[in-house]
Amino acid sequence: MARAGWGAVAAAALLLPLATSNTYYLYLACSVGLLAIVAAGLNVLAGFAGQISLGHAGFYALGAYGAALAATGLGWPLWASVPVGMVAAAIVGAAVGAAALRVSGPYLAMVTIAFGIIVEHVLMEWVSLTGGPGGIFNIPKLAVGGSYWLIAAATAVTLWLTANLRASAWGRALLAVKSSEVAAEALGISAYLARTTAFTISAALAGLAGGLFAILNGYISPDSFTLQTSIVFLLALLFGGLGSVAGPLVGGVALTLLPELLTGLADYRLILYGSLLLISIYGLPTGVVGAVRSRARRHAPHPALSPETRGREAPPQGKGGDAAALLEVEGLGVSFGGVVALSGVTLTVPSNGITAVIGPNGAGKTTLINLITGYYRPDAGQIRLAGEPIAGHPPYAVARRGVARTFQTAQPFDDLSVVENVMIGVAGARLGHLGGALLHGPGTSRRERALRARALALLDAVGLAPRAEEPAASLPAGLRRGLEIARALATEPRLLLLDEPAAGLSPTEIADLAARLTALRSRGGPAIVLVEHHMDLVMAISDRISVLDYGRVIAAGAPAAVRENPMVIEAYLGVPA
Amino acid sequence: MYGLVALGYHITWATSRTMNFSQGHAVMVGAVIAWGLAVAAGWPLPAALLATLPALAAFGALIERVAVRPFFRASSPAWLLSTIACGIIAENVAQLLFGKDARAFPSSLTQRPILVGGAGFYPQELLIPMVGLGLMALVQLFYHRTGYGRQLKAVAWNAEAAGLMGINVPRAVMAAYALSALLAGVAGVLLAPLLNVAPTMGTIIGLKAFAVAIIGGLTSAPGIVLAGLGYGLLEAVVAGYVSTGAREIVGFGLVILVLVVRPWGLLGAPPARRV
Repeated sequence: MARAGWGAVAAAALLLPLATSNTYYLYLACSVGLLAIVAAGLNVLAGFAGQISLGHAGFYALGAYGAALAATGLGWPLWASVPVGMVAAAIVGAAVGAAALRVSGPYLAMVTIAFGIIVEHVLMEWVSLTGGPGGIFNIPKLAVGGSYWLIAAATAVTLWLTANLRASAWGRALLAVKSSEVAAEALGISAYLARTTAFTISAALAGLAGGLFAILNGYISPDSFTLQTSIVFLLALLFGGLGSVAGPLVGGVALTLLPELLTGLADYRLILYGSLLLISIYGLPTGVVGAVRSRARRHAPHPALSPETRGREAPPQGKGGDAAALLEVEGLGVSFGGVVALSGVTLTVPSNGITAVIGPNGAGKTTLINLITGYYRPDAGQIRLAGEPIAGHPPYAVARRGVARTFQTAQPFDDLSVVENVMIGVAGARLGHLGGALLHGPGTSRRERALRARALALLDAVGLAPRAEEPAASLPAGLRRGLEIARALATEPRLLLLDEPAAGLSPTEIADLAARLTALRSRGGPAIVLVEHHMDLVMAISDRISVLDYGRVIAAGAPAAVRENPMVIEAYLGVPA
Repeated sequence: MYGLVALGYHITWATSRTMNFSQGHAVMVGAVIAWGLAVAAGWPLPAALLATLPALAAFGALIERVAVRPFFRASSPAWLLSTIACGIIAENVAQLLFGKDARAFPSSLTQRPILVGGAGFYPQELLIPMVGLGLMALVQLFYHRTGYGRQLKAVAWNAEAAGLMGINVPRAVMAAYALSALLAGVAGVLLAPLLNVAPTMGTIIGLKAFAVAIIGGLTSAPGIVLAGLGYGLLEAVVAGYVSTGAREIVGFGLVILVLVVRPWGLLGAPPARRV
């Protein structure tokens, strides 16, 4: 159905210039294309990476003024001057993104608003370069017919690029960061880098649209690049559909045509925009495209899993091999606002087998995992992985050294399908070439097939293969944990940290989990650190146990010895034994 | 003056971790209503002022009901966009009722400037920071000394626990929004004689106040008031020695700088990372 829809859009775009020579209609169609290009760029930022910008009129302006100045000042031809604007916007976008994306939410909105206002005022003040409030006229322009073909082609290419991006390792990484930044970093993805990349792409596309705007009109002035323009850009995306490839086009059509159809109501324009924005947020959280699609999905059967993708490959082999200590924690301490969470914790994990960490609630078990994986910074002590210090490294860097983890509350990427979740783990930090992802080159498609096959094999091993194409959000709690473990194993870690993997599971599911973990051990899989309350499970499968209480290790050794230790009994039962 | 409006961001942020991005439009609504009553209808100024304040509180409560409550739990920036939407609608409505042109708001305090060391001030300009500091002190008293203020603080700390303790959380949030719009309205009435009253005046005031709130630290009321005074001085200096256009460039450039170097503001508390 989607393919037929795109075919109809393409046919309409091709037929329009033949059906009418009315330049007004062609001009409107050009405006639709420009708005769609900017909205598609914002879609990469907001729809994929989950960050809102209210300053994209600034990048649109950079594109327009860059192209206009190259054409009028340097006398460059059109085909060279439009890219000048686009590159200018991309460079500034990368710089602003690198500075601004340390913050998110309302703070990021403020930075982008501030950026937009600064650009607007620079355009007005720097009269010698920009012509001030009067702007730049006499920009060599194409006839409307020529502009139409150029803009139509640019729109098509833009939508194609964003569709490719969505289907690539980069696109999945962006969506993962949007869905759960914490979990994405645990797989080796730098959330900051991913967001900055998305910001740069969206700035470049806004710049492209700005350059085309300049040569379509032949005249530009600061009036076209205000905060209100930025809001309209965002509105087009939200109305059309956040996160969907077709959404920006739908939004572009709606936001261009509605004001034209309602010219008699020009005084009510802001009310119209404001109401549309409210309607989009209230009633159409996934935009027009999402609303149409969810209606269509209700009638479509689930795609069956093809037999050849099943059960092809054996589950993973860890990279670690030697029997020496893999992880050494020495004198580790951390406190939060005066509360000592851990102090003097020493722990050694050999490169194979299952090491359990147990202790009463609040003993500091999860804190220990957060310290090892880089989410917290220790106040004292050392953490070494295979002899190299890793304390204080950011989570994604620790993950890249072969440390995988799961979370107390399972954090699958809900916006992605089950198989895509695992594909993110398989790819890890290796996202491939960004250009390849955008253009969907042959290397990228080959890689995609390999990633998918590997991910399906991993899912098969945990019995999730039949649900591979379902959205992760649809899984029940037990399967979410299974998915999270499969995703962590997909990174082929040397060390796997499981934070209460049995919490909330049924007895059958716990037995399954135990069987899977021991199978992993007998295959020479990664070293496993198991934080767990479930004593039956811990005693049954652990090779070694460390007991934490009030932030200290009070006992360590083989399960049988730990069970008899009087201090452990006291910690658990609260009475001296 | 910016401090006064920015305090409004602080109040709703502290209570609900949301804020009205159209705070500036509340300033505009205050100025427009006061103008309508005092100038167009010829009411005496105190009466107009008294009538304006409840109207503003209602405006704030309305924004909360329409644009914030449906999205209170959502971590998405939906409330950010929906409050902007309400702001643009308010601007358009004001335009329809008031007209597009700016109008003067006469006040006895802007008739004759007083000279202090060669620079001229209107008494009104001195009144604003004094009222600002006074209101800030009142807000602090309200938070620390009254039961209702403590309830709002409890909601800020942990909405769920506050709800379990019998605090009506939605009502507390609505009260915070009403209070914040009320402060904005006071700012609007005070500003009206200095600037001209126009439906478009809200956007830039709101943005600058937000900039001030971020510079001072969204979680710190004294930081915001200090930042408000500093920002006002900086603007006056830049506008005086360079140009009015450069004023916005320097001001908003400063915001970006603060956010990059110290994202939680000068006196705000850095947020704890939760995993």
